[in-house]
Amino acid sequence: MVEEKKKPQNKVKDIAFKVVRASVTAILMYVLYLLVAALLAPVFELVPGLAETIEAFIVVYIVLMILGDLTRGTIFQHFFNVARALFLIAYLLVSMGEGVVSMSYENFNLTINLTMFYAFAVVLSLLGLATTIMKAISYLNERAEIASGFHQTLG
Amino acid sequence: MNVPIRMLGIATVILWVFLAAYIAVAANSFKDLNFGAGEPVFSASTNGELLFAMPLYIDNRGVCSLKDLNIITVFSDAEGAEISIASTTVPLVLHGQNTTVFHNVSLNMKDLLNKEEYLFDDGDLAASITAGLTFAELLPVEISKNFTYPWGAPFYGFTLEQASFRLINATHGSINVPVSFENHAAFNITGNMRIELCGSDDSVLGVAQAVFDVPQQSVYAGDLKFIVPLDSASPTALRGGYFNVYFSTSLFEYGPLVIPYG
Repeated sequence: MVEEKKKPQNKVKDIAFKVVRASVTAILMYVLYLLVAALLAPVFELVPGLAETIEAFIVVYIVLMILGDLTRGTIFQHFFNVARALFLIAYLLVSMGEGVVSMSYENFNLTINLTMFYAFAVVLSLLGLATTIMKAISYLNERAEIASGFHQTLG
Repeated sequence: MNVPIRMLGIATVILWVFLAAYIAVAANSFKDLNFGAGEPVFSASTNGELLFAMPLYIDNRGVCSLKDLNIITVFSDAEGAEISIASTTVPLVLHGQNTTVFHNVSLNMKDLLNKEEYLFDDGDLAASITAGLTFAELLPVEISKNFTYPWGAPFYGFTLEQASFRLINATHGSINVPVSFENHAAFNITGNMRIELCGSDDSVLGVAQAVFDVPQQSVYAGDLKFIVPLDSASPTALRGGYFNVYFSTSLFEYGPLVIPYG
């Protein structure tokens, strides 16, 4: 209702700001991924196909992030943020399997138990999910407060 | 409510960065880790065991230390039965440290050389080496490799060649049997062999002994001399029969190896 009262000029400005913000965030995220990927290059050499899988994950993650930024200030932002957090958890659960990675390295069979790392990653993902849900609740709470204030003003 | 949520979000991001940094550091550190194995040093113990010390070189040039390095070697025969198992533990290899660990493996010759195939024929022993360690404090890693260890027979190509008969006197004759073999084993063999010359009627016609001291990768060639009585049974007995060969060394006892003749 508040947004309905905004002038068309402001709306365009608002959308343009959201697009710029989403683009900058996506670019920053991808640059961060490139930096981390450079550090993780030895792991990518050890596990064939890992780089491609992570790249696909990053693409989906950034798309959800852009959608979240574009719908900023609406309830859809929180839908996309929850979807992003759930996607991260699902990706970790699917990719980790039993948490034990086996590969060949210089004629040796190498088995790495990543259970601790995965457990920590899943805990952080759950923390992220909890944060987004709390943000959604906070947003709805604020909206309810604004709506009740608006009704009181009308009354 | 907004401030605690924002703080929670920031804390989550910081923890993600820490986790990514940890994995990146661990991966780079693993890349800078070098393992190598030197030539094993063989020695024979007095209680019938062949010991070999395998030097393992660990060059940890990474930033993470290795903990609880446990190296286990299992030797098994062609049928998959376990012959020997040995383990060596290194509690800690600090970062930047270059360590040489001697992994000692003992093979019980008495058990192994009870089988003719290991005594007289070269072959392979199946071996598997497994190194378990905790890397970067949190990541349990296991490195394993299966390989075959070439086994050289100590009495490779053991042969008793064509016997020659010589009359000594009216009552006794001498039978000369050339004997040869190659020591393909990774250790020297010292001991003696006792050979019984048996007739076709299982009677022992003569006994000969030979002492040998054969370094590894050397050939042994000698003659065994049997003094046999020339009684009425001898001519038929000498036409066909068998040798019973008994080996006695500091590492093992074996016999009889039955070699027919005639």
